Amino acid sequence: MTNAYTGGCQCGAVRFRAGAFGRAAICHCRMCQKAFGSFFGPYVTALDFEWTRGAPKYFHSSNAGRRGFCADCGTQLTFEAGGGVELAIGALDDPGWAPPVIEVNPRDKVSFFAALCRLPPRPAAEQPQTDARLARVVSRQHPDRDTDAWPPEAGRS
Amino acid sequence: MSLDNKPVYSGGCQCGAVRFRIEGALGTASVCHCRMCQKASGNFYAALVSVRDARLAWTRGAPRRFRSSSHAWRGFCEACGTPLTFEAPEGLALAIGAFDDPSVVPPTIQWGIEAKLPYVDSVPALPGEETLSDQEAASYLADLVSYQHPDHDTEAWPPEGHRP
Repeated sequence: MTNAYTGGCQCGAVRFRAGAFGRAAICHCRMCQKAFGSFFGPYVTALDFEWTRGAPKYFHSSNAGRRGFCADCGTQLTFEAGGGVELAIGALDDPGWAPPVIEVNPRDKVSFFAALCRLPPRPAAEQPQTDARLARVVSRQHPDRDTDAWPPEAGRS
Repeated sequence: MSLDNKPVYSGGCQCGAVRFRIEGALGTASVCHCRMCQKASGNFYAALVSVRDARLAWTRGAPRRFRSSSHAWRGFCEACGTPLTFEAPEGLALAIGAFDDPSVVPPTIQWGIEAKLPYVDSVPALPGEETLSDQEAASYLADLVSYQHPDHDTEAWPPEGHRP
């Protein structure tokens, strides 16, 4: 598959590829909230899907479906039910590929959800200090593209 | 509230293998848009609250940790993957969605907005759809048995025969 959509977990132990996408949505249900440790779950339907490195560990979150995640770093990867695969949008190498078009299960939406995008950013005066601190951070996250081997032999402890 | 009038919070992962309890006032609650928070949680951003001076206890199990950078570790449940912590020298933060009641921990600031996804701010304006409005989905829900841990502490978990 060329021009496929790729992605994977934070540590890079699990990688996947999809040939095409169906609908992208965010789900406010309490099960998605807790699975993601967040306010919602963002999923896009994957078509022509395959795991290209490693495989997820699964938790059967209900009798209807299971959720795949990386056993080494915890990244949420899939919701699988009825033969279909939904991919966690943040795990895509470019989450911009899958803008959500609908919110499902708004009944469980946290009350402050709409206000989140209006929250203030970090005060500009603090930014130089933050930039200096971040410049010293060495990321151990897998890059946002496929790699022949991972982790690189050097620099990993 | 505890007996000495401190706020008390509880939470844990989706499967219930890891549970936590906090006593005392929490620090800043935030969402972080940085690419590392996105990929760690498979989401658009991470929602985290600093534990700061509150007392955190792991009341069942403990997170497994991935060292995501030279600076920090991220804790998660190794049985179900729920993101639970961000741990750096300056302190520990907990995933807000893992709280039994996330509504009591509203974020007050956004970090890492240079990495904010272009569509995030328009998500609240998207149309909504209740699962029950869809006939097929409604019958799916009628047969649904959740294996998620309830949003409160339990003596033992899972109940016998509850899970495949």
